[in-house]
Amino acid sequence: MNGNGDRKVILLVEDNPDDEALAIRALKRHHIGNDIVVAHDGVEALDYLFGTGAYAGRDVNSKPTVVLLDLKLPRVDGLEVLRRLREDERTKLMPVVVLTTSSEERDLLDSYSLGCNSYIRKPVDFLQFSEAIRQLGMYWLLMNEPPPL
Amino acid sequence: MNSEILTKLRACCRDEAAFEQLQQILSDKIQPLEQEIDRANFQVERQKALSNAIARLQETLDLETIFQATATEVRQLLAADRVGMFRFYADSGWNDGEFVSEDVAADLASAIAQKVHDHCFGEQFAVHYQRGRVQAVADIYNAGLSDCHIQILAQFQVRANLVVPLLQGHNLWGLLCIHQCRAPRQWQESEIEFVHQIADRLGVALQHAELLAELRAEIVERQQAEQRAQELNQELQQAIVELKAVNKELEAFSYSVSHDLRAPLRSIDGFSQALLEDCLDQLDNTGQDYLHRIRSATQRMGQLIDDLLTLSRVTRSEMSRESVALSRLASRICTDLQMAHPDRQVEFAVQPGLVVQGDPRLLEVLLDNLLNNAWKFTSRQLQAKIEFGAIAQENGIPAFFVRDDGVGFDMVYVDKLFRPFQRLHAMNEFFGNGIGLATVQRIVHRHGGRVWAEGALTRGATFYFTLFAEEVEA
Repeated sequence: MNGNGDRKVILLVEDNPDDEALAIRALKRHHIGNDIVVAHDGVEALDYLFGTGAYAGRDVNSKPTVVLLDLKLPRVDGLEVLRRLREDERTKLMPVVVLTTSSEERDLLDSYSLGCNSYIRKPVDFLQFSEAIRQLGMYWLLMNEPPPL
Repeated sequence: MNSEILTKLRACCRDEAAFEQLQQILSDKIQPLEQEIDRANFQVERQKALSNAIARLQETLDLETIFQATATEVRQLLAADRVGMFRFYADSGWNDGEFVSEDVAADLASAIAQKVHDHCFGEQFAVHYQRGRVQAVADIYNAGLSDCHIQILAQFQVRANLVVPLLQGHNLWGLLCIHQCRAPRQWQESEIEFVHQIADRLGVALQHAELLAELRAEIVERQQAEQRAQELNQELQQAIVELKAVNKELEAFSYSVSHDLRAPLRSIDGFSQALLEDCLDQLDNTGQDYLHRIRSATQRMGQLIDDLLTLSRVTRSEMSRESVALSRLASRICTDLQMAHPDRQVEFAVQPGLVVQGDPRLLEVLLDNLLNNAWKFTSRQLQAKIEFGAIAQENGIPAFFVRDDGVGFDMVYVDKLFRPFQRLHAMNEFFGNGIGLATVQRIVHRHGGRVWAEGALTRGATFYFTLFAEEVEA
């Protein structure tokens, strides 16, 4: 159980409003009708996950099923978010999918070294992007068994 | 004869006549003995002068010092008016020269630094002096010398002269000249021999000096070479530092290209597609056509950025050298191509067992580019054949090749093939951006090899490459 009943939440950490809109559009078109929470930078993402700042008082036992994490983010970047998640007992097993524009070797290495569960490069072609999002949603929300608490 | 001896003799011989007779007899005996002693003294002095000359050779390598000391000594010993060392100018054919060192009587003019030109010397006499000829003239006005020769000698107030060649090895370097100025002088055999010996010693000094000069020149040359090497090394170090900085900058640049340049393309493509899906009934055919064009241009741009990133990565990445099974790699790429386009009829012929030393990732990019090209340029045919193999070159280094029987190219444009952004086909004929072969060339160059192509229009193309530096014929 992931502590939030049957409601599955996807945390999308994305600073680019266009990418945010396109990702949400793709998820909705494929009827992956889950709640999508959007954090626009690393600080917001950490606040949501640890119930601090703007999310003070949020029940942190209610955890997202998967985090879709961009790497290039304002304030605290994606790799730093990943590091903090893995350092914390409460989030160290949380599925994190890096979803980013770059396929630089450095980014791949760093992401996997810090313990991401998957690495997806956003394609330019929207149809491919949309298909990637669909498969992601299907896999992580429907097929994958989340880690026990 | 000593008077003490005479007194003693007289004391023992009271007869005056007998004494006179005795004195005469003794005097005849003693005089040659005294002359003998004089000669012996001269011999001793000569030996001294010679051994001094030899000692000087060991003491100093400075020609000027050796010449000066020798001139003084020889003049004293021979009681001559002038002893001078005359040097011929190099390349003057022994016609020009000057006195470079001398010892001269106080009341006579110096011959130093007075240029001498004797146009007949080089022609007539040099060859004899070169063989060691000695000239001894007792009186220049009485020896049948030529007028110009007499004139030159008179210039230095010479009356009698003794000239011995100064030889540097086999080369006539100059002359050792002994001048008598106030009166004629008959030169003695022993004097001539002595001067000859001195000249020999000076010859040794000249050779030493030459060796020394060569040695010094060599040292200077070595020092200069060393300094040049140091400078080059410094420049190299500097260049490396600069290169590293440029490389870092390039890396940062391509990192941000990778992240930032593609993002807006996704927006353009995504919202164009959204328009096509959500607002289709508000768009006529032209409007839809425009959106399709926007999308395909966006995707080309995306591909272009990806290919440029690959090209730049190929240049920047660290190289490794390990065994790479090229045949297996080629087969895998061919299988992938066939699987991605199952409708096409393509025969692949991959020569098995080809293995090279190289960077596996770069070599994969290389084969991927060449085989994809072959696939692309045979796409208009119902049936096609694509080969991968190796041929033995004359120099023993294998040349690998990828051959297709597709549209080929005109050999006129062969030089353009490997330049970035150069395309030989219109965009609507075959998709591409002209970076693939530039990438191939860069990978081959990084392995120290070369790449070249053969082809003909409608008759296919063959791309050859080697992966090791080949011996370049001089």
